[in-house]
Amino acid sequence: MGRLRYTISRLLQSIPVIVGVITITFLLTDAIPGDPVQIMLGPSPSAQQAEAIRAKFGLDQPLHVRYFNYLFDVVRLDLGTSLYYGVPVTQKIAERLPVTLYLLLSSFTFALLTAVPLGIISAKRRNKPTDHISRVVALFGVSTPSFWIGLMLIIVFSFWLDIFPATNLILPWESPANVDGAANQLGVIAKSIHHLILPTITLGTLQMAAFTRIERSSMLEVLGEEYVKLARAYGVSETKIVRKHAFRNAQLPLITLVGLQLTGALGGAVLTETVFSINGMGRLIITAIQNQDFQLVMGTTLVFGLVFVIGVILTDLSYAYVDPRVSFDGSE
Amino acid sequence: MNMSNATNRTDADESGPEQPEARVGLRYTLSQVKRDPTALAGLAVIAFMTLVAFIAFVDGVLFDFLSDFTFFANLGIEQYLLANTFWVNPVVDGTGQILRPPVYMTNQLYPDQPGTWAHPLGTDHRGRDVLIRLFYGTRIAITVGIVATGIAMVLGMLVGAVAGYYGGWIDDALMRGSETLYAIPFLILVIAFMTAFGRNLTFAMIGVGIATIPTFARLIRSRVLSVREEDYIEAARAAGVRDRDIILRHVIPNSFAPILVQATLQVGVNILIIAGLSFLGYGAQPPTPSWGQMLSNSRQYMLPNPWFSIWPGIAILITVVGFNLIGDGLRDALDPRINN
Repeated sequence: MGRLRYTISRLLQSIPVIVGVITITFLLTDAIPGDPVQIMLGPSPSAQQAEAIRAKFGLDQPLHVRYFNYLFDVVRLDLGTSLYYGVPVTQKIAERLPVTLYLLLSSFTFALLTAVPLGIISAKRRNKPTDHISRVVALFGVSTPSFWIGLMLIIVFSFWLDIFPATNLILPWESPANVDGAANQLGVIAKSIHHLILPTITLGTLQMAAFTRIERSSMLEVLGEEYVKLARAYGVSETKIVRKHAFRNAQLPLITLVGLQLTGALGGAVLTETVFSINGMGRLIITAIQNQDFQLVMGTTLVFGLVFVIGVILTDLSYAYVDPRVSFDGSE
Repeated sequence: MNMSNATNRTDADESGPEQPEARVGLRYTLSQVKRDPTALAGLAVIAFMTLVAFIAFVDGVLFDFLSDFTFFANLGIEQYLLANTFWVNPVVDGTGQILRPPVYMTNQLYPDQPGTWAHPLGTDHRGRDVLIRLFYGTRIAITVGIVATGIAMVLGMLVGAVAGYYGGWIDDALMRGSETLYAIPFLILVIAFMTAFGRNLTFAMIGVGIATIPTFARLIRSRVLSVREEDYIEAARAAGVRDRDIILRHVIPNSFAPILVQATLQVGVNILIIAGLSFLGYGAQPPTPSWGQMLSNSRQYMLPNPWFSIWPGIAILITVVGFNLIGDGLRDALDPRINN
């Protein structure tokens, strides 16, 4: 019960943040020069046409009225209609969000699966060649622009070696009838993973490097703790120390970082989607900003904010599984 | 987090009460950095890149200066400058062959247009020398990275110090505000900001600066919270020193070391963010050369001319590695846990 109450109270606490996200986006989109109606109707719309559109979207109202109207709409889960696409914003987001989440999930999985072992090995063999190599890899990983990694991967693996495709991401839930060479749903999933490998590495390298660094340093810290020294003194093997005593405690800083990296990864998804021509949230929001599709800009940013907030709450919840000292009943 | 505190405490117990104080001074930091090969390597990289940026700066000024005088123009010096490889302002359209490959490329691939030493890294889609555009890109990247960090640092220090020092509702309001900024991905926040106010480098710097305020605000706030209860702050307050002076003279200087580490690392991060912005078309506007924009241009020619995509990325990589090495070196020097 404690966990549920904690989650609800955290969600309530994040309401100001969400309202803040809406406010910032609202003011920014309002400050964008130019007339969205003109962009929608073309260079020379008739005055009546323009007025009709303005009235339909409430653009004839003053700023504060529009702002509060929007807030009330959000509470009713109505994000308005996209000016550019002419469909509800929620529909557009429902189309694109799964794509971006799919990409994020796979790149975080990739990052964690490589970073945790790399960080542990690095810490166990401190100042040995393995450690040096893994530190250099991590240093270069946090210093390389993700989109450039994408370009290099495309040149090598798509153009030269022709192993992995560079465009046309296939989604695992697409129907086999629409996918070339896939007999059934399993075939679609296999094809999808094949397509996802390059974008995953592109987006995941930065996270992988950041995670490796924190895993190494927190593992080093834990391995220097008194109880580890004691275990060593009792003759417990190094492998067992890492697996049974140090591993869990060393994961706390990593978990915090996973939550915080989410916002950076969402930004990185914009670049990755651009490089690999993936129609996800990132490209949606860029075109929305360019088209001054203000309803869509607001809606997508709001969803990004929500994804981040939920990510951080999930992070906090996962603390409890790792660290038995954390409880959610009142004080810690 | 609990564990790190525990380690700190045992450190202090073992080394006596004076030791931690001596370990946070600027002079101590510098003496540690001097002994640290990683920090020195980073410094060397950044010194080199700054030199390159400076050469590009002088080249640009010289070009503008010389072409302003009709005397030199009559001498045909402008033509000379345009024809010569090194002193060519990359802003001006090149006169070389379009998409000439770099000097290391084999002639088999491009039999009619081999790479030459006149353009060691080849020319771009408008015949401009890639190496010189890289030089100019260095100037922009380093300037923009440092200025954006400076903006974030000053504003973040202000926000964090005020929030931490006063506490209460001011703290709540400021921290909720900085959480909000953090909840919107940097890149999207900056792109919206630039669309609203101006699509050029100035607003890219301001936008990135504002978007990264939370990083510094949080850092300073946590420092202030720990410093606030120290005896000397108590003494200053008792002596009637004003809050503003306490923050500026005591709290901020005492938090200098971790800010320096964060700022150095942030310059690298900002260079990456701004390269990403330029890649999407939201950075330096053409014809001003920037690394991100060069990469963006190269996308159209990637299949036949892959070399075009390689070098700007390596330039970004080297510069950011440089800043990260310095930042890591500083942190190691300042973190007593790693020293023992």
